[in-house]
Amino acid sequence: MSDSTTVTPDPAPAAGSGDQPSRMPSRTRRRRRAGRIGQVHPLVALLWLAPALALILGVVLYPAIKLFDASRGEYSITGLRKGDAGWDNYVNVLQHPDLGTVLRNTVVWVVAVVAITIVLSLALAQFLVKSFPGRRFVRWAVIIPWAASLVITSQLFVLLYDYNYGIINHVLLSLHVIGTPIDFLGDDSWTMFSMVVVGVFVSLPFTIFVFIAGLGAIPDDVMEAATVDGASPWQRYWNITLPLMRPALMIATVLNVIYVFNSFPIIYTLNDRNPGYAHDTTITFMYKLAFKSQEHDVGMSAAAGIFNVLLILVVVGIYLKIINWREETSR
Amino acid sequence: MTSTTVSAPPSAGAPAPQGGPTATPRDPKRRKRILMAIGGALVAFVFVAPYLVMVLDSLRTSSDVKSTPPSFLPKVWQWDTYAQILGDERFLNWLKTSLIIATGSTVIVILVAIPAAFMTARHRFPGRGLFLLVVLVTQMFAPTSLVVGLYRQFFELNMINTYGALILTNAAFNLAFAIWILHGFFSSIPLEVEEAAALDGASRWQILRRVMLPLTLPGLVTATIFTFIAAWNEYVVALTLMIDDDKKPLTVGMRAYITGYEQHWDQLFAASVIAVVPVVILFAIIEKHLVGGLTAGSVK
Amino acid sequence: MRSTKKSVVVAGLAIAGLALGACGGGTGAGTAPGGTAGATGEEAKTIKLVAAEYSKDHTKAFWDAFAKTYNEKTGYTLEVQVVSWDNIDQQSSTMIQNNQAPDILNLNAYASYAKDGLLYDSDAVLPAVAKDDILDTFVKYGTYQGKFYGFPDLSSARAFFYNKTIFKQAGITAPPKTWAELEADAQKITALGGGKVGYALPLGPEEAQGEFSMWIFNNGGDWKTDGNWVINSDKNVQTLDFLKKLADEKVTQNNPARTNRADAFDLFKSGAAGMVVGFSPLAADLDKDKKVDYGVAPFPTMDGSESKTLGVTDYLMAFKKPGNEKAVKAFYNLYYTPDQVNTFIKAEGFLPVTESGVKYFSNEKALTVYLNTLPNAKLTPTDDPAWDKVKLAVQQNLGGAMNGSPKATLDGLQRTAESVG
Repeated sequence: MSDSTTVTPDPAPAAGSGDQPSRMPSRTRRRRRAGRIGQVHPLVALLWLAPALALILGVVLYPAIKLFDASRGEYSITGLRKGDAGWDNYVNVLQHPDLGTVLRNTVVWVVAVVAITIVLSLALAQFLVKSFPGRRFVRWAVIIPWAASLVITSQLFVLLYDYNYGIINHVLLSLHVIGTPIDFLGDDSWTMFSMVVVGVFVSLPFTIFVFIAGLGAIPDDVMEAATVDGASPWQRYWNITLPLMRPALMIATVLNVIYVFNSFPIIYTLNDRNPGYAHDTTITFMYKLAFKSQEHDVGMSAAAGIFNVLLILVVVGIYLKIINWREETSR
Repeated sequence: MTSTTVSAPPSAGAPAPQGGPTATPRDPKRRKRILMAIGGALVAFVFVAPYLVMVLDSLRTSSDVKSTPPSFLPKVWQWDTYAQILGDERFLNWLKTSLIIATGSTVIVILVAIPAAFMTARHRFPGRGLFLLVVLVTQMFAPTSLVVGLYRQFFELNMINTYGALILTNAAFNLAFAIWILHGFFSSIPLEVEEAAALDGASRWQILRRVMLPLTLPGLVTATIFTFIAAWNEYVVALTLMIDDDKKPLTVGMRAYITGYEQHWDQLFAASVIAVVPVVILFAIIEKHLVGGLTAGSVK
Repeated sequence: MRSTKKSVVVAGLAIAGLALGACGGGTGAGTAPGGTAGATGEEAKTIKLVAAEYSKDHTKAFWDAFAKTYNEKTGYTLEVQVVSWDNIDQQSSTMIQNNQAPDILNLNAYASYAKDGLLYDSDAVLPAVAKDDILDTFVKYGTYQGKFYGFPDLSSARAFFYNKTIFKQAGITAPPKTWAELEADAQKITALGGGKVGYALPLGPEEAQGEFSMWIFNNGGDWKTDGNWVINSDKNVQTLDFLKKLADEKVTQNNPARTNRADAFDLFKSGAAGMVVGFSPLAADLDKDKKVDYGVAPFPTMDGSESKTLGVTDYLMAFKKPGNEKAVKAFYNLYYTPDQVNTFIKAEGFLPVTESGVKYFSNEKALTVYLNTLPNAKLTPTDDPAWDKVKLAVQQNLGGAMNGSPKATLDGLQRTAESVG
């Protein structure tokens, strides 16, 4: 889709839009009108973007600066700022013995949740755009994990996973699939799996609906043409649907990566009984550094927060580079 | 993914029951639809299952939730929890606050994202890529890490404990998604549509309102739901900024049911069930616009 | 020209909408939160209390009523913010980072705040009558460097809870008095099968230090002796070895290192656990549910000597802010009147902190076993700012001994304590 800079010849004076003066359109007016699509004066653009910019910069920028500020300070356990720490907090974070574990957990967590979510969502979205009886209710059902707050869902899963009262163990035991209960949260070999299941579960609804919206933007005539040409369902999907879904895929992936990276309640709540950092990701690590760990250091936590942002930035940057996002966004 | 092929030949080998409109051509389709309905029910069940447990737990006593061995159905049904919650003034205030904040945030996000996405999607100007990048990068900051700065900022603006502070914050943190998804939708509208409108003499604003917006309805719907839910379920910032109990949204207020010393699981889950309802209602209302988009003929 | 004008209108509307959103909803905090005395030292007429939420039904109700009485009696206004326990740490830290500490903060630690010079001591804000009334052991543990800063709001003491029904089933006639007896009883109970747990041992991160305190106190050990950290003393190592033995013998519940107090209580309340360390809120729950026939006894000691109990208080500490001294003093004056403090304690189901309070509750049969031990209760070393960090280290690391080496774990904690203090 090229942006048009062609000057379209002007028809008779535009009677339709009542606020046009009734005289012959001049050459400049023509060019200006055509320029409505395409190149735009930066100040005009600014007007349209101003509210968004104001909101984002206003609400995010100032606290981000304060975050950086805090990362360079020395703080008492009470939160009182005692002075400057230069880069000490950053060094301390990098030297933290559990950093490696935390980073590894983060990678596994993000990759597993995002990948599984995307694949499942593509499938389910495809299913949910077909018409079948009861589709409406299925869609309502799909939205519920998203509608319920993360904190509540996490707490619910803590109950479901419980060694003693958990329904999951109860069912598995009753069906004789296992002989003794599984310690889903306390057994180190199960914890990540349990976390990922919840992560995927709560990410599916949002992703599915992004894909449903994306599928809805695919013109029917293109699909019909392909069908008439004799393409198999899989061929149609692979060669037409998926490519046309690229914008939706990109949005879903990038935003999922960011949200899953920053996802706090699931990991924190599910690991409520687990001491140390064995299953933490960078975001819970950051929180615990401030309030639960023996460091109890707000400055160190802020430094970890900055690292967190840099990490996401790098990851997303690489991804966008791979898919050549400039091409995507400049139609 | 099974998709019904349009060109399925009538099954030549199938026994053709004599003289009936309920004859062969519709059967495969019918069966397929029934299979899909069953599949749909299964999918729905998977998504709803944990919350069914939650509903059941809201109908039993708190201690029954933690009984060993666990039982699916309550040993003793307790029906008055919902009435208790709905009669509790504290809960109703929390509910009211959540509604105000979620609605306000959603309205602002939509109002702000539409012009921004329209401008970036359909026009070129210096700084365009930069703007999109800034929007994306600001989303990478987790509210959890920004909370201290937010507190300070709103304190200096004398906006601690106001709905406005939370509305602005939620709007800002959800703007990226709205801009990006609307950007995608605006981009995919063929140029001819816009040119036709321009030819008719419409101003940029009119093009947007009369022609482009209707075509981006699925994106608008998605952005609306997304923002509403995000604001509805936001926790950390609300916790920090809201002081008065009646200004706390549901997510923060509900923590009261489970303190370190006493746990009312029945009330917590009943409140959670009630909390899900407004979201589902909103969704039910706007869901049908989710699949829209271009139909053959609008372009030609 | 037209299109630009339209753009202006659109943008203008958007910005207006933004501004409306900013000003519209809700009322601001009015004046800045907290005491609003300026640097000129003019007197603060409003002070702010950040209180921890002990219970949904009582905490807020009490403080709201208190604020009303406070206003009527003194003319000052009390702003109350109630925060749940799992968030109050974060909330108070945020406020202090922004130099917006409340005037009075209800928290489970105080010494670090005193060390940072943030607090008023008793000479400034605590009426002498109140100070005299507060139990000596609490004054002792609330004193940092000779000054009393940590004013207690309520207290609790631990006791040994046992399930009479299970004991009968297992053929145990009396609650154990020594650790050897406890171990034997736990084995008998576990042998009953059916998921029965002998002793519910919570060494998870929520309150590992509380559980461990009970055990080390009853083996003649402690966290500090004569001002020195003795975390890895031989007696303490012996204690932790014993706990590991219990876990290895499987007479405790699954995974003690990942069990929090609430989980241990749930096991006891559902009738699955035979023995647990509990306190009065647990008793209140048990009485309400009427599912478990339970008994309360002194905690067994290693060698059968006199039983010790762990006492715990939370604090209502006062932050130094220009001009708020009078209002804060009036607060404590009112809080420590027997009517107020004991009403709060009674509503929340805890134990008194004053001598008059002990008398006030002397008629409550259920509390007798605690009230007797309360004046002699041992506390964790809350008067040492280092404890605030050591406690966190204990919470995060103690459970590790269950799968590792108790001695190494305690050595590590000792090192941490020495490096912090």
